[in-house]
Amino acid sequence: MIILTPKRSFTVPVGGECISPDTFAAKSTSEMANLPVWEGNKKRALGHLFRIELKTAPSESLTIRIRGDAGRIRRIGAKMSSGRIVIEGNAGMHLGEEMNGGAITVVGNAGSWAGSRMKKGTIEIKGDAGHYIGAAYRGSNKGMNGGAITIYGNAGNEVGCFMRKGLIKIHGDVGQFTGIHMKNGTIYIGGDSEVRAGAQMLGGKIVVLGRIPSILPTFTIDDIKSRVKIDGEKVEGPFYRFLGDLAENGNGKLFISQKQNTHLTPCERFL
Amino acid sequence: MTVISHITCPVCGDFCDDIEVTVEDNVITDVKNACAVGAARFLNYATHRRTKPLIRKDGELVEASLDEAIRKSAEILADATYPLLFGWSSTSCEATRVGLELAEEVGGVIDNTSTICHGPSILGIQDIGISSCTLGQLRHRADLIFYWGSNPWDAHPRHIERYTMFTEGRFQRSTWRKYVSRLGGTVTEKRLQRTANLLLDHHPPTPIETGQGLPYTMFQKKRKMVVADVRKTRTAEAADYFLQVEPNRDYELLQAFRMLIRDGELDVEEVAGVPVELLEEVADVMIGCELGVFFFGLGLTMSEGRHRNIDAALSLVRDLNQYTKFLIMPMRGHFNVTGANVVFTWQTGYPFAVDLSQGFPRYNPGETSTIDILRRRESDAALVIGSDPLAHFPKKTAQNLIKNPLIAIDPELTPTTLMADVVIPPAYVGIEAEGTAYRMDHVPLPLKKIVDPPETCLSDEEILRRILNEVRRIRRKLN
Ligand code: SF4
Repeated sequence: MIILTPKRSFTVPVGGECISPDTFAAKSTSEMANLPVWEGNKKRALGHLFRIELKTAPSESLTIRIRGDAGRIRRIGAKMSSGRIVIEGNAGMHLGEEMNGGAITVVGNAGSWAGSRMKKGTIEIKGDAGHYIGAAYRGSNKGMNGGAITIYGNAGNEVGCFMRKGLIKIHGDVGQFTGIHMKNGTIYIGGDSEVRAGAQMLGGKIVVLGRIPSILPTFTIDDIKSRVKIDGEKVEGPFYRFLGDLAENGNGKLFISQKQNTHLTPCERFL
Repeated sequence: MTVISHITCPVCGDFCDDIEVTVEDNVITDVKNACAVGAARFLNYATHRRTKPLIRKDGELVEASLDEAIRKSAEILADATYPLLFGWSSTSCEATRVGLELAEEVGGVIDNTSTICHGPSILGIQDIGISSCTLGQLRHRADLIFYWGSNPWDAHPRHIERYTMFTEGRFQRSTWRKYVSRLGGTVTEKRLQRTANLLLDHHPPTPIETGQGLPYTMFQKKRKMVVADVRKTRTAEAADYFLQVEPNRDYELLQAFRMLIRDGELDVEEVAGVPVELLEEVADVMIGCELGVFFFGLGLTMSEGRHRNIDAALSLVRDLNQYTKFLIMPMRGHFNVTGANVVFTWQTGYPFAVDLSQGFPRYNPGETSTIDILRRRESDAALVIGSDPLAHFPKKTAQNLIKNPLIAIDPELTPTTLMADVVIPPAYVGIEAEGTAYRMDHVPLPLKKIVDPPETCLSDEEILRRILNEVRRIRRKLN
């Protein structure tokens, strides 16, 4: 196991791309300490910003543990393909960006774009997360394409924007535009959702267990289902099933808890 | 006395190029063709201007020499780890070009005012694409003008007169006369209503019933205008039809239009406060026009949904092009905000919010945009040019901006210059200095020099060039 402890708190953004099991593999502590890191416009060595300790336990896969707050450190675990990262405080933006395997656990909160464009692996966030979870890069239409993200707290807007595959599970509440432009994959919201879930979606599935203020007019009610399957697991309903987004000729499915959303009862007349 | 014609107006995004000014003894004494806002600019620009640079010493702003102010600015920027360079929409493209060079040299984030106005439009365009044109085309051909969340009557006063409803195009007639006679009708209607309310003792007064459905003018083969907004603005009063959208529900309405244009049916009776039957009629008018144009302003970019509203508007226009010709254009605010986007793009590949801290451009609004950087308090110095963020930014971001050294290049007395550590007053571009700017439809036009600036005031470009040279000198010395 490699333990990184920040030597001081950071104000300007720090580029943490090199904090990845793939980069650290087969490196000595001094080699790790020499890895370049950007702090704002200054190029520093990793050892200049972190205390690095190596505690080898041969049987386990390479684990990096960050002790302390990494809220200003961006792109931790970007493109990693194996191993494990545990962040004991908060994590900055772009956590696990383009991740291709392995696992990341954040004990605190994570910034926006966590798991954006990820292909494989798992990200677990015990606290809240920002916007654009599992989303695409600005201007691209290729969002998350596999793997799983679990958030125990709340998340912001545009969760799963342009998502193509994989699973995002949020146990708390989410902001607007969940699953915008999504093509496939599953998003599960344990708490409440703000408006415009599923906007412009072409396919995939969004399940909302809590309350949602309204459904977009471009969705049509299709059925009431007693339960829904998420990643092989059954979640008990009943759920309204809406299809859309019809403005895009989409074939996505919105499962909305019937009990929590009595204001949607008038929709039942269209069944 | 000299009369200079074909001057461009350095105020709003319309960037009118037919202004005529009279100059006597290096003072502008008369302006022709400009609107009230433009004329006020030419006649009164110098009323409250500063001419001497200022530096903060022991908490007080004191007069300093230009060299001293430039040296101090260069020191602040050269020392910073994550400086922010903001503004750029009210200066020339030439100055912006030097600004980008400076941002690269100091390893900073450079951002223009699009970040708080049409940034969402740019994000939408990057996701969906845009079918646009120049204003000249619209002037001659457009027979359906749609203004959404935009009030040109007040914000771009000559837009309607020069490019849309009240302009005499080659293939489309001006509707000015129609408007004047209708205005007479509206006034009489209001008077009648008031008299009726008085006679019938209505408390509160009841408005005259207007029937549901579109007015007959919307089905004529003439130029017509539709306005969608949250309130009835002057522009809306001049329109053939006004769609009142519930605040923050623009996205729903746009998506509903998209669905109707595809011949889809809506499972609801009304969307965003507008009955679906009416929406169907408006959708028919949109499909039936020969050339439609959709102008949108901050009412759409800044209502809830931001870039997704624009995403929906651009998609709507794309869908409409399956049936007719339809174009779309953002109503840009400052006279050269389009130019700032253009210069940023040809220099770095990105139109705003460009982070050059690692020596190459990175772009991710939300991460590298001014408001977000300031909200998280990441920057450690700032240079502001031709903008007044302290008066316009959210409170917390404005507070964070002044916690670090601040340089302001601005001739006016503004909250930003009052709180800055270095203030350098430049010459007014487009009046005292020349350059280039881009009109809202991406047409570059020259900014002219009409009068001489005060001796102590250099152009923005020259000031930035001197700061850049000074930064380079400091860097060389350090190395
Ligand atoms: S419309 Fe705008 S550019 Fe034209 S004169 Fe008025 S302020 Fe100047």
